[in-house]
Amino acid sequence: MTWPQFVTVTLNGLTLAALYFVVAIGFTLIFGVLRVVNLAHGSLYLFGGYVGWSVADRSGSWLLGALAAFLVAGLAGLVLELGLLRPLHGQDLREALVTIGVSIIAADLMLARWGGFTYDFSPPEAITGGVRIPVLGIGYPKYRLFVLAFALALGVVLWMVLSRTRLGITVRAAIDDRDIVAAVGIDVQRVFAAMFAIGAGLAGLAGVVGGSVLSISSGEDARYLLASLIVVIVGGMGSLPGTAVAAILVALVEQYSLALFATYAAIVSFLLMVLVLAVRPQGLFGRPA
Amino acid sequence: MSPRAVVAALIVLALLSFPAWGSPYFVGRIFTPAFIFGVIALSLCLLAGYGGMVSLAQMTLAGLAGYGYGHLTVMQGQPWWVGILGGIVLATVVAFLFGLIAVRSSGIYFLMITLALGMVVYALANQNRSFFGGHTGILGIRPPELFGHALTERVPFYYLCLVVGLATYALVRYLARTPFGLALVALRDNPRRLAALGFHVALHRVTAFTLAGLLAGVGGLLLVWYNGAISPTTIDLTRLINIMVIAVIGGLMYAEGAFLGALVFVLVTNFASSFTQRFNTVIGLVFLATVLFSPEGLSGLGLRALAALQRILRVRFASAERAEMQ
Repeated sequence: MTWPQFVTVTLNGLTLAALYFVVAIGFTLIFGVLRVVNLAHGSLYLFGGYVGWSVADRSGSWLLGALAAFLVAGLAGLVLELGLLRPLHGQDLREALVTIGVSIIAADLMLARWGGFTYDFSPPEAITGGVRIPVLGIGYPKYRLFVLAFALALGVVLWMVLSRTRLGITVRAAIDDRDIVAAVGIDVQRVFAAMFAIGAGLAGLAGVVGGSVLSISSGEDARYLLASLIVVIVGGMGSLPGTAVAAILVALVEQYSLALFATYAAIVSFLLMVLVLAVRPQGLFGRPA
Repeated sequence: MSPRAVVAALIVLALLSFPAWGSPYFVGRIFTPAFIFGVIALSLCLLAGYGGMVSLAQMTLAGLAGYGYGHLTVMQGQPWWVGILGGIVLATVVAFLFGLIAVRSSGIYFLMITLALGMVVYALANQNRSFFGGHTGILGIRPPELFGHALTERVPFYYLCLVVGLATYALVRYLARTPFGLALVALRDNPRRLAALGFHVALHRVTAFTLAGLLAGVGGLLLVWYNGAISPTTIDLTRLINIMVIAVIGGLMYAEGAFLGALVFVLVTNFASSFTQRFNTVIGLVFLATVLFSPEGLSGLGLRALAALQRILRVRFASAERAEMQ
């Protein structure tokens, strides 16, 4: 691999990591707080992408589309949590099965509404086009750098919220022991609902942000569900730093192996997951169950 | 003879004579695939019902057997029996490896890890050309031929799938009564106590997973003969989930449920698709309704109905007997 190639692949890996982080963080927060494996997470990603595209197409504003994706996917998550999952709280497996059922129906209905076409976003001009990176001496798409910055900002904001605000403290306490949190008089049901809505909204937002890197089409739901699964399995469920580290690790490994030996790249992510599970079954930053 | 044995005998008799009186469409396009998917779902019922391990990778293992058969017979030009052996061995060995990775976790973690493993195989099958044939997969896979007839002619293939279905069902029911099966159930209910009794918990789980992989592989061979081709689509997310849908609709805890669920699944996909394009939504709704309202599936419903019926009959017979005695 030549130097410019290496830099490009590394940058691709980092920007992909940013995307994985944005997608997986909602998944891991929902799991951490509610103990729900939301297998409809990929569907929320795709749903957000489609809604965002439709809104951006009508209004001509990419930003408005991204906002709509966040809100609509968050609302969908809220409906899912309040309507279907709440009666089943505490029954992990049935909750996971319900989200599977929802993902089947969602995939089919989205196919009916948006068809099998590929949708391209047009982000604002300020973040499109190429840019020359001074020190490294290569050209690189601006939009991908924007995704990197966006993920960093999101990570910092979430970190601040989790460590500094009242909601964040409650959420962290709920991750540790939700029974005690309920026992001290906090309305955990509201925290759960809020968390589910935020996690789902982030998945929807990721649909627009990620969809703008390449495009959005049916089948992307499976791809990003897999990415979320591997990232949280490697990083440890419910951990913000774990998700960040795992996203970087998984994405870099994926990009390097794609560049080096494309036909066996899937095996490498598999080996990474196996290695982590063998050494630390709870994930890099996870606590033993 | 107990009422249950009578019912079972009647069902077997009906299935054996089915090609004589059933329509060819039902024989070839409904019941045959129902047996095939039933065998694959049965491997999940064995794991989930007895071992408490809900795996989403069973279709992957079935698909690997199909890939093994297709690779050996089409790409390597080997005879069919080598393909069968190779396919089964591939599914079993991969199941063993998956088992080693996954058995340290349980519950929804197990579900997630098996799902990730299955989807990694899907990604590999899509990328790799030399073994899996890449995106197009392996086409023109021919079933074994006996006495100059392809095994997949409608009636012989129906009987083959029926016999395999019955045999695997009997095997699972038998296993449940062996010391191994009993330990598996005990392990589902209380792994810690079983470990304290000196059982090797992980080894038991890996063995069960490997065995289930073998079952899934057998189903996968039937499926690849039925389809005549295999591609990554056969093992994509939707197909992995379909097996779960089948097992849950039929009843995850019951071996019968696998076949019952498969029959319902094939019927719904066939008939719903004739009046609506959105048959996946119908499947999804049926599945959701099962999970929400009848977690034990159709088998659970059926058994409850049967028990209620027996109660009613017993009351009636008992009162009739009393009347006679007086």
